[in-house]
Amino acid sequence: MLTRPALAPRPRWQPLLAAAAWVLAWLALLLLDGHVDLANLALLLVMASALASVWLPVSAAVAAGVASVLAFNWTFVPPRNSFAVDLHQHALLLLAMLVVNALVAVLVAGQRHQAQRARQHLREAEQLRSLGEALRDTPEPLAHAAGLRDTMSELTGLQATLLLQKPGSPAMPTGSAAASAGPAPADSELLLGEADADELAGLQHCLRQRHALGPGTGRHDELAAWYLPLRGRDSCHGAALLRLPQHGQGDPALCRHAQALCDQMGQALQRVRTSTAEAQAREQAQLQAVRNALLAAISHDFRTPLATMLGAASSLQEQGERLAPEQRRRLADSLVDEIGQLARLADNTLQLARLDAPGVLLQRDWESAEEIVGEVLRRARRRDTQRRVRARLEPDLPLLRCDALLLTQLLDNLVDNALKYSPADSPVEILVRRQPAHPAQNPSGTPSVDNSQKERLLIAVRDRGPGVPSAWRERIFDVFQRGEAASTDTPPLDSARPGAGVGLAVCRAIARAHGGELRLRARGHGGCSFEFQLEIDPPPAGPSAPAAKGDGRQWAGGAGSTAPA
Amino acid sequence: MTLEVLLVEDDRELRTTLRDALQVEGYGVHTAASLSEAQALAANTAPDLVILDLGLPDGDGQTLLEQLRQRRNTPVLVVSARQADGQKIALLDAGADDYLVKPFSIGELLARMRVALRHRGTNLQASITHYQSGQLTIDLATHRVQLGDDSPHLTPTEFKLLARLVRNAGQVVTHRQLLTDVWGPEYTEHTHYLRLYMGQLRAKLEADPAEPQLLLTEPGVGYRLQEPDA
Repeated sequence: MLTRPALAPRPRWQPLLAAAAWVLAWLALLLLDGHVDLANLALLLVMASALASVWLPVSAAVAAGVASVLAFNWTFVPPRNSFAVDLHQHALLLLAMLVVNALVAVLVAGQRHQAQRARQHLREAEQLRSLGEALRDTPEPLAHAAGLRDTMSELTGLQATLLLQKPGSPAMPTGSAAASAGPAPADSELLLGEADADELAGLQHCLRQRHALGPGTGRHDELAAWYLPLRGRDSCHGAALLRLPQHGQGDPALCRHAQALCDQMGQALQRVRTSTAEAQAREQAQLQAVRNALLAAISHDFRTPLATMLGAASSLQEQGERLAPEQRRRLADSLVDEIGQLARLADNTLQLARLDAPGVLLQRDWESAEEIVGEVLRRARRRDTQRRVRARLEPDLPLLRCDALLLTQLLDNLVDNALKYSPADSPVEILVRRQPAHPAQNPSGTPSVDNSQKERLLIAVRDRGPGVPSAWRERIFDVFQRGEAASTDTPPLDSARPGAGVGLAVCRAIARAHGGELRLRARGHGGCSFEFQLEIDPPPAGPSAPAAKGDGRQWAGGAGSTAPA
Repeated sequence: MTLEVLLVEDDRELRTTLRDALQVEGYGVHTAASLSEAQALAANTAPDLVILDLGLPDGDGQTLLEQLRQRRNTPVLVVSARQADGQKIALLDAGADDYLVKPFSIGELLARMRVALRHRGTNLQASITHYQSGQLTIDLATHRVQLGDDSPHLTPTEFKLLARLVRNAGQVVTHRQLLTDVWGPEYTEHTHYLRLYMGQLRAKLEADPAEPQLLLTEPGVGYRLQEPDA
């Protein structure tokens, strides 16, 4: 960004340079007097005048030219030491000198002005370009507001002030008469720089009206500053206060340039606002699509047991008398079974919704894996009349810091799935064992103490069913990617997997809530293994000898978490 | 003599279904749809057992429990809609007898009622001091534990824990109740004690400790000793 002011005041040394040119010229005149012709002396003077007009303002240059002609007349033109002129040709010479001096001074001044304008245009173009560059791809144009403010300040040499609307807030529509005319910036506004109450009100007015105020703008010409809106395509995103050095003065070109800078900022803000709104709309649409898919999947899962239940119940209601007792019994059994499935589905769906919400609190406590597995087995036995489910637990497992209800639900779902989707005579196994910590292979070779170093507990539910095609191994956990999903590149999953969607999704959500990741692994000799690992926290202090209340006898148990024999 | 049951449930369908089912079983049933109604009925009819649904529009059931506990030791079965329900556990800690989570079957309800009625009035009469289920016999008076022909040795703390469960055999006993009664009120947060000692008890008393049949776990609530035989 350019740092030189656009309206550079004439440097102080320029008149000195002009004076030096005059002094040198006069010295030369005095030296050469009598040696050369009067006309040649006059030419020296014309040259000095031309030089001086490069460095002097046009009026000073013309005055100096006239003065030097008069002085020349006095000093050198006969009769000397008088303004009288004897010869006509000398009069002509003086006249020519006067005209040429004046002409040169005016022309040089014009040239100089042109050059200065050209330089200024270049500078302005450069400022616009570099601001545009900075703003083009930035996601946060407000970060460049300070740069804009500095640039604007340099235009006049006085501190500029910016009032910006924060991108999150709604843009001020053109011409809207919002009532917030208080002296303090609103929450949605950002004030960059100093502004007194009047100036702030001016900025807010400018922002709302989307018009420039100040000298030369046709609105509030009496102001000592410009108030320029940061205009976007169809709304206004801020306002700039540009204070002017002298009252009532202001170059319209400067004003236009400042407005161009402001508009560039306004357009950048507009662009960001548009793309933010676009992203939000996209996100919203995506969320809606996910929700719809979820609802479709869940409602499908709910309708299936409901259909069976309504069938059985209405049959009992309408045909009850004509049905054999055995048939009635079967219908009633089917009702109870389906209601059980529906209850499980409702539990899973509710749990999924709960775990999906931010800031879920787990009811963590010290729990024993044996107990949880024991309870899961007890529940499974109601469906598992052939006792296919077996538990394999490593002895002396450490306690787990977990939510027992959730973990029970997780394992119960996995066991239920395994029982459903593997052959009726094949075993289902619940496996719990320690997973030794693998020292991380870090380059330094020193074992670091991080989470991957902690000992973990592997919990798995394994079956000898048909397995899951590899294309489905991840997607099976997606609640709305189930079975016959309309996918082009994956083979349809075994169609007899109703309800797997919500069940496995909630299992994964529960594992994640505990810091684990539920994965599906194909087993060596067929079947699959759903497994996850939980970190083992340092065990709490075990009960000490005097713990038992009113226990007179000495209790000879071990301290610590190991179970005394 | 007919046993009188006070059924407090605000859902009309469920209330009617349960009332009919209980009447078939021979109970006299009074129904209430709100806590205030229940309190009035409890004062007038002196029920033998109360089935209390949580989540009533006019209160949390705590006042009704206190009212019932003041006069007689009327058993209270709490019915809650959620497994993880803090209110349910608070009521159990405060002395409610047992709980059911919706949806439940009539069979479960009747079983819970049977156990609760068996324990009725235990604060006046002698507590249940003898327990027998399958191979296991426990006599609290003589501190004797018999498992078939075997008599497993229990440490004093193990026995205290077992005895506490025997006194409420068939009913859930919350973690807090167990910790308070066995270790003392300052140990109510030490659930890991329970895990360890229950593990030891199962190792000594269960045929397959990995699949307990006697010392049952109620995740997130407490433990239940299997209902005794007959």
